[in-house]
Amino acid sequence: MMRGMLMSTEMQTFTEKYDLLGCIQCGRCTGGCPVTVRADLNVRQFVNDAYDEEKLEELARLTEIWDCTACHTCAVRCPKGLKPLEVLIGLRTMIVESGKVEPTVRDALQSVLLEGNPWEKSRATRLDWMEGLDVKVADPDEPVENLFFVCCTIAYDPRVRAVAQNMVKLLNKAGVDYAFLPEEESCCGSEVFTLGEEGLFEMQVEDNTEFLNEYQAKRIVTLSPHCYTTYKAHYPDLKTPVIHYTELLVELLNDGKLTWKEELPKKIVYHDPCYLGKQGGIYDEPRELLKSIPGAELVEFDRRRERSLCCEGGGGKMWVESESKKERLSETRIKDARELGADIVAVACPFCVLTLEDSMKGLGYEEEMRVAEIMELLGELMET
Amino acid sequence: MKTLVCIKYVPDTSEAEVKVNPDGITVDDSRFSFDINDADNYAVEESVLLKEAHGGEVTVLSMGPKKSEVMIRMALAKGCDKAVRVEDDRVAGHDPLMVAKTLAGAIKGQEFDLVLTGCMASDDWHMSTGVALAEELGVNHASMVNYVEVMDGKVKVHRELEGGLLEAVELELPAVLTIQTGINEPRYAPIRGIRQAQKKELNVVSLDDLGIDPETVGMDASQVVLEKLYIPEVESTAEFIEGEPEEKAEKLASILQKGGLV
Repeated sequence: MMRGMLMSTEMQTFTEKYDLLGCIQCGRCTGGCPVTVRADLNVRQFVNDAYDEEKLEELARLTEIWDCTACHTCAVRCPKGLKPLEVLIGLRTMIVESGKVEPTVRDALQSVLLEGNPWEKSRATRLDWMEGLDVKVADPDEPVENLFFVCCTIAYDPRVRAVAQNMVKLLNKAGVDYAFLPEEESCCGSEVFTLGEEGLFEMQVEDNTEFLNEYQAKRIVTLSPHCYTTYKAHYPDLKTPVIHYTELLVELLNDGKLTWKEELPKKIVYHDPCYLGKQGGIYDEPRELLKSIPGAELVEFDRRRERSLCCEGGGGKMWVESESKKERLSETRIKDARELGADIVAVACPFCVLTLEDSMKGLGYEEEMRVAEIMELLGELMET
Repeated sequence: MKTLVCIKYVPDTSEAEVKVNPDGITVDDSRFSFDINDADNYAVEESVLLKEAHGGEVTVLSMGPKKSEVMIRMALAKGCDKAVRVEDDRVAGHDPLMVAKTLAGAIKGQEFDLVLTGCMASDDWHMSTGVALAEELGVNHASMVNYVEVMDGKVKVHRELEGGLLEAVELELPAVLTIQTGINEPRYAPIRGIRQAQKKELNVVSLDDLGIDPETVGMDASQVVLEKLYIPEVESTAEFIEGEPEEKAEKLASILQKGGLV
């Protein structure tokens, strides 16, 4: 019954949709999957077994389909250009469409539909982060060079709001032509897509495209790499190009518009967020920004750039707890940073901040180490 | 099984500051998100589970504004069959008895086995609409229900009492059950299901359509007068008792005695 529904709306078989016959079972996907150290997930096997349509419902009921963090390592490594992770998302769709999902997933998805964000917050409070700041808010009738999309997590989560707040201060100081989207801004759908709510995601793409296309902007600047990659990969009719904020800041840096008021004599290690690096292809800009900080020493993880270790915050995992009791990847990451003697783990993603900081606190390294979004650091160093 | 499930659209007051309007008897709800009342969500799920197990039909009944239809459509997407939404400003909505009379007016004349409601609403917390509804309909009821088993012509239910006690009762059908949260795990209404549910019947009716005399459910009929809403003043006094353990105990006992607490 579930499959029947899926087929009738998709007009494509599961095998066709995910190009399962394109797979040569080389195993590079599973070989690189970071989750395998703590869960039984074997994505190669799913790609193999999903070919048998009779088995799809059984596969969809396996709990490990919810272990995938959508980090895209499998897609980066696939020699055939396939996206093995999307097979798991397709199986999640079957569960979501039956309605029998974890309550946390249910509430997040419903909140996106009703309030335009997955955090069960009221739409009317979306701009509360702007309080006390001189923020330019966008108007469809006024052309603007940089149109900012703030992201639900940054707008609502008090831990990462500083990313947007510092950005405003920096833009005002540097005299940048910018405006932030008004309260009508809705979730980009990144996590809706990976949680498998295909119908809702299609609706978001349609609604957001129409909403964003009303604005006369030279480009849309996203603060979260999740929004960045989602707009780049899934919004074919968006008329405005999308960039990540680190790209804009490097431009400002090169134009001599960013100056820092003091030194930061710390050892900083940069953690490549999967959505910004592996999926967005942005590796150098965050590093350039960190290198511009006077007195700071930038060190590197062994697992960096395309091989960066996932923090497990993506793929809807903010709403799905893994059954595994083994060490979290974010804990591994923090331990690696400590071995490098890093004072600061710098990231450019709100989810990475939340997962890595939790692990840092859990491991008891709070006194000796800090997890910070690049924008937090730059905000503190900015001349006012 | 013919079941009706009564649901209410309520604000979530946990995330935004509650402000009383200048009229003193209403709340500024412009910054709240709205959703189905929590306990009613469990009632919807229970109605759908009963239908899946025993067949039959579920009708959603709600009194509320047009914007609450998204909540009704979600219930239809989950498996309820049709819906009635009562919209009429003349009902004294602050009085559970008037609400119960209105809901009863929408149900009367229909055959039914069960009416499910949530056991309480998270806006006014009266916990009485369901019970008053049973009285208006002249049928049996059980409140705070966290287990339902349908038998021939009757239901066996568990009622949640204080201190973790459960009371098992059997009721002859038809009956009204007010459902406690936790009885089941409410499912998600996927967007494709909501779209398909657009085809299901949703009738919007007024008191006139229901043949209810507005005089019987309006402000004049209500014996509850909402005089004033206010935010309780934050008061906190903490007295630290100093001294040796024996002195401390004596002082504490004296405070408790003076306060009439022992």
